[in-house]
Amino acid sequence: MSVLKFLIKRLIYSIFVLLGLSVLIFGISRVLPGDPVRMALGARAPQWAVENMRAAMHLDQPLYAQYWYWLSGAVRGDLGQSLVTRRQVSADIAEFFPATLELALFAGIIMAAFGITFGAIAGRYRNRWIDNVIRIFSYIGVVTPSYVFAILFVLLFGYLLRVFPTIGRISGGIVRPPTITGLMTVDSLLSGNFVALGDAFLHLVLPGVSLALGSLAQQARIARASISDNLNKDYIASVRSFGVPERVIMCKYLLKPSLIPTMSILGLDFAGIVANAFLVELIFNWPGFSRYGVNAMLNKDLNAVAAVVMVLGMLFITVNILVDLGVAWLDPRVRLGTERGK
Amino acid sequence: MKRILVVALAIVLVCAAVGLADGVLRITFAWPCKIDPAVGSDQASSSALLNMYDTLVYPDTSGNALAHVATSWEVSDDSLVWTFHLRNDVRFHDGTTLTAEDVKYSMDRLLTTGEGYAFLFLGRVESTAAIDDYTVRFTFSKPFGPFLTTLYRLYILNKDLVEAQTSASGPYGEKGDYGKGFLTDHDAGSGPYTCREFRVEEELVMDKNPSYWMPMDAQAPSEVHFIGTTEAATVRTLLARGELEISDQWQTNEAFAALDQIDGVDVMAMTPGQAFYMMIHNRKAPTDDIHFRKAMAYAMDYQTVVTQIFPGTVQARGPVPQNVPGADPTVFQYTRDLAKAREELALSPYDPDKYPIEIHWVAEVPDEEKICLLFMSNMAEIGIKVKVVKVPWMSVIDEMAQMETSAHIVTVFDSPHFPEAGSLIESRYHSSSAPTWEQNEWLLDPELDALIERSIATVDRTERFALYAQIQHTIVDLCPSIFPFEDVERHAYRSDRIVWPAAEGEVNPIMGYPFAARLIRILP
Repeated sequence: MSVLKFLIKRLIYSIFVLLGLSVLIFGISRVLPGDPVRMALGARAPQWAVENMRAAMHLDQPLYAQYWYWLSGAVRGDLGQSLVTRRQVSADIAEFFPATLELALFAGIIMAAFGITFGAIAGRYRNRWIDNVIRIFSYIGVVTPSYVFAILFVLLFGYLLRVFPTIGRISGGIVRPPTITGLMTVDSLLSGNFVALGDAFLHLVLPGVSLALGSLAQQARIARASISDNLNKDYIASVRSFGVPERVIMCKYLLKPSLIPTMSILGLDFAGIVANAFLVELIFNWPGFSRYGVNAMLNKDLNAVAAVVMVLGMLFITVNILVDLGVAWLDPRVRLGTERGK
Repeated sequence: MKRILVVALAIVLVCAAVGLADGVLRITFAWPCKIDPAVGSDQASSSALLNMYDTLVYPDTSGNALAHVATSWEVSDDSLVWTFHLRNDVRFHDGTTLTAEDVKYSMDRLLTTGEGYAFLFLGRVESTAAIDDYTVRFTFSKPFGPFLTTLYRLYILNKDLVEAQTSASGPYGEKGDYGKGFLTDHDAGSGPYTCREFRVEEELVMDKNPSYWMPMDAQAPSEVHFIGTTEAATVRTLLARGELEISDQWQTNEAFAALDQIDGVDVMAMTPGQAFYMMIHNRKAPTDDIHFRKAMAYAMDYQTVVTQIFPGTVQARGPVPQNVPGADPTVFQYTRDLAKAREELALSPYDPDKYPIEIHWVAEVPDEEKICLLFMSNMAEIGIKVKVVKVPWMSVIDEMAQMETSAHIVTVFDSPHFPEAGSLIESRYHSSSAPTWEQNEWLLDPELDALIERSIATVDRTERFALYAQIQHTIVDLCPSIFPFEDVERHAYRSDRIVWPAAEGEVNPIMGYPFAARLIRILP
């Protein structure tokens, strides 16, 4: 199957997945306790104001009609108004999603680079002291939630050593770059504002590393296990018997096939960071998408909840497709899941 | 490599210098903050609004109304018409002059949208008229005594600016969106600070208004940042690094103790007029019986509450915190007396064995559980069985909307909407509030309602306060609630960097007003 066919097929599947997801989240958000409009307007708001807002949001209509209004709006790019920020949800997402994306990309780069490197070292030198050290740190990384790292880093690098900023995306006194991509570092670079670039990068370090550590440790463990498995395979013994140097075996014959399980988990971890960054964003006062989503749920901000879930759904689907393509590239045996067994 | 290190060091130094910028006041708040005067009504929003907007009158530390944009005012003989005379030298941030039309527009907008602090005026203010450029008249449908104190929440908008920025499409007919889109992240005020930037999920930045009509201390902050975080580790780090001047109030006892240990940081406490209530259902067996309620009130261990669970607070005396104007210090105060509790229980027709009760506490406020567990233990001593139930706030609101679904007891913090006893009395015990989260008692007492309405309608302050006192005695006699304690609001602040009147004891008992930045001085 060609890549194009694969992509078309997956995209068609994705539409059904997203439709199912939208029905699910729409239903769940409507049956949760609490009147969202009353919550937004306050206990003392007059009933007519509550009714007016209900009517404006079509909440006075039957559930299927509400869903239709929402779906037809969403198709046009109108995700409705947020009850919390009182802005268009699409504007909120355009502002907050890039902030989390930047954080996730930074964390993703760290977790991929260091996770695979540490895993490769541990696998190559298994049962030696360096393997033991990496394994111990991997265990610690896997079992420690990212918010614990975040608090520790704030106290260590912010409170005691005072070397990194601890809140926001950029310091108050620094001229912010114009919004081009929404990624502060990229926009700083594109606009040639190098002071902002350095400052934005410093702001990324603590939250980014906090988010990366857990997944990094997992990557290291998976990469180690995969390399250890492949080391015992016949083809490696065969290559070795030809007198190929160990470094070449590692880089040319071992690393690529060993990355397949790592690649699958990496994609899911990346999407997971976007979805689960709430506490880290809260600790670092990072104006991100994950925090926005949780606040929306706590405040029963119906339009925002639906939009956040749909964006996350799209993100997971996209990442899964990319992972499948990546795995196919890494492993020639995989023909995108259709020609197996022929 | 060396060059990279030098650049990195330079960036760190730039950041450090930014953090230590002169004249900056930074305060953390629980978020979100809403800076539209017809939308915001919580602490962060109220604090922001009073810094960016002016009001007709301004409260002193006793809650009395002082002339501000209004120089004087008079009330008609029938108390239905209030006329205010305005200063002619108040300029909005765009340089235009504030006139009576702007006051009228602000009130009309608030009443039309029905949000924010509109509830203070709805059903009371019938119309607003600009008599001339500097005279504005409010006409009431019925007399409203505490009107002056509610005017602390009428923030005056620049009508021309808002109209120019109003979107034609919106839910308010010919008024379109009534400027709501624009005012979500801009100001249109004449206050001592202007909105420079509002990042809705993160921070509000305000600059000093150089042409403010009132004289401002040279040491008043040149810029003010409201930061949307209450995270303990972050707040502690910011305070220690000198990147925060005042913390939010939502830190735990342990966190405040740790903050107090930081050099240059002190913890202050003020009484914001907030109290904690255990709201007893008065129309559901067995708590519909006054003796059963009194038995519970006598069995409650108030001292443990104020010394162990909420240290630093004081036991409440009736329904109104004592620093709220109009509170009566002579009302009866229940103290723990198990003998009296058993006597009252013996008078009740209900056998406590057959009538277990439920107490619902708000899941989002974990400290409430401690009081509920203490209550359960106290009640067990007199034979009343209590089931403690944790309920999410959204569900609390839902179940309290109907008499049948309201629990025997619900715990809640509440504070006055305008700085007078009448506000709490009305919102807690008038029948109109029965289906809201502010009243689980379901008193529905026509006589009490009439008395409350009479007090609110009385313009003469002395007379009004006498009626408030009478109502407080009546309420305590009915024992509709248990009054465990009056809350204190604590903040950690950099006493080596700022002089904060609220920390010096000059506490304005109205939500937001202790954060009037123009009255805070930044030390050189």
